[in-house]
Amino acid sequence: MNNYHLTKPVITGIGITSNLGQGQAAFSDALLAGRSAFGYLRRPGRQQDSSFLGAEIPDFTLPEFFSPRVRRNTSFSDQVALVTLNEAWKDAKLEQIDKCRVGLVIGGSNFKQRELQQIYQKYQDKAAFIRPNYGVSFMDTDLCGLCTEQFGIKGLAYTVGGASASGQLAIIQAIYAIQTGQVDVCIAMGALMDLGYLELQAFKSLGAMGSDRFAHEPDKACRPFDLNRDGFIYGESCGAVVIESVDSVRKRKLKPYATILGWAIEMDGNRNPNPSYEGEVKVIESVLGEAQLSPREIDYINPHGTGSPLGDETEIKALSACGLSSAYINATKSLTGHGLSAAGIVEIVAVLLQMKSSKLHPTKNLKLPIEPSFNWVQEKSIFHEIQRALSLSMGFGGINTALCLENNK
Amino acid sequence: MDKEKIFQIVVNHTREVLPELVERKIECSDSLRDLGANSIDRAEVVTLTLESLSMNIPRTALFGANNIGELVGLIYEQLPSD
Repeated sequence: MNNYHLTKPVITGIGITSNLGQGQAAFSDALLAGRSAFGYLRRPGRQQDSSFLGAEIPDFTLPEFFSPRVRRNTSFSDQVALVTLNEAWKDAKLEQIDKCRVGLVIGGSNFKQRELQQIYQKYQDKAAFIRPNYGVSFMDTDLCGLCTEQFGIKGLAYTVGGASASGQLAIIQAIYAIQTGQVDVCIAMGALMDLGYLELQAFKSLGAMGSDRFAHEPDKACRPFDLNRDGFIYGESCGAVVIESVDSVRKRKLKPYATILGWAIEMDGNRNPNPSYEGEVKVIESVLGEAQLSPREIDYINPHGTGSPLGDETEIKALSACGLSSAYINATKSLTGHGLSAAGIVEIVAVLLQMKSSKLHPTKNLKLPIEPSFNWVQEKSIFHEIQRALSLSMGFGGINTALCLENNK
Repeated sequence: MDKEKIFQIVVNHTREVLPELVERKIECSDSLRDLGANSIDRAEVVTLTLESLSMNIPRTALFGANNIGELVGLIYEQLPSD
C-alpha cells in the first residue's frame, strides 16, 4: 500500500524565464540585487495610441535543439514555456523517471491574446485563408500537447485557470495528482500570459493596472505596499516547479529544495475583481491548519502584493489579523511586475531561490509602507535563512490560494 | 497560370511548413505525408497555396490527391477560366 496521503510532497526542480532574464541564476541575481526591467512596453501589439508600462523578457532565445518546425508553429508564450520547462526538467533530473509517471499541470488561461489579436487583424478580410493550425493553437490546451510531445510526458496533462492565482492552483492540482497516486512527479507551470493592447487597456479602465501617477517614470511605477501605489504593472514571466512524492525522491536520492507543508483554496463567491478580507483570512487560517503551524512559526511571507490600492491594504489587514505581522516580508512583484497567470509560481520560485541563497530580496520602491510595523525588507537584500514560508495568491473572480513551504537546506 | 507555376507554389509552401526539407529536392511523385507532413501540415500547405492563388474553393474539391502532382492537377482544374 502506498502512503501518498500521509506524506507531504517536495519540490525538486525549478525553471524560470522572466523579464529579469532567462534561468535561475539570472533571476536570483537580479532579485537579490534589486534590479528590474520596467519601461514602456514595446512588443508588437502592446500599444495603440497608448504608452502602457511594464517589463518584457529581454533577448529571448529558443535553444537550437527545438526543431525549426517547433519554432515556426509556436507562439511566444509557447516558446517561453518550453525553455522554462526544459530548465525545470534538467534541474530535477527527470530523465531518470518513467515518463508514464510524470504529469504536467499548466496554470492559466488566455495565454496568447496579443498574438491572437494580430491573427484577427491579418485575416479579418480573408477568413477563408486562416491558417488551419489556428484550429488547434487558439486553445490553451495546445500548450499541454506541445509540452508533452516535446518532453514525452505521458502521465497526465491539463490546464487549470484561476486568474492571478492560476500558478498556485497548478501547484495544488499537481499535489493532488501525486497524493492520489496518478503520477510520482508532476510539473506545475505558471504560463506566460501574453497581453495585447486590448487587455492592457481593459485592465487600465478597470482601475486594476497603474500607473497614471508615474506615467513618465516607469522605474517608479511598480510599488506594492507603498503609500503612492496606483495599481499593478504588467511583467512577462513564466515559472515551473517540479513537485514529487517523498517515496520517489528517496528512490532517486535527490535533495529537494523544500517540502510543501500546506496548501489551501478558498472562494469568496464573487465574480468581481475586488479582494475579500474574509476570504484572505480564511485561506491563511486554512493553510496554517493544513501545515499544522502556528503563525509565529512562519518566518517569511511572500505576499500577493500587486500594488493595487485596495488589494494591498486588504492583504496587510488579513495578515495582521492572522498574527503574521512579525515575519519578514517583501514583494517579488515590485521587481518582476505582475505575471498574472504565472505570478503564483514565479513567486514560489522566488521563495525557493531565497531559501537557497539564505537571503531575502529588497522590495523596490517601498519608500512609505502602508503598514510600517511589518518586518519589511525594503531597500537592500538581507541575510536570512528562511525556515518556513507562506506565499499567497489572489485572483479575479474571488479565488484565494496559499502555500506553506519548509526549507530542506 | 500553368501547372509548373502551381507546382512551384506548392513546393515553396511545403518548405515553409516543413523547414527541415530545405535541402531536399521535391518531385511531383512525392506525397506530402511521405515527406513528413501530418494532417495539420497538409492542410497548411493547401491553405497557403490557395491564398497565394487567391482561390477560395471548398477544400473537398482537393480531396483524394495521392501526391503533389495530383494535388497540383486538382488545383489546376479549379482555376477560373479566363
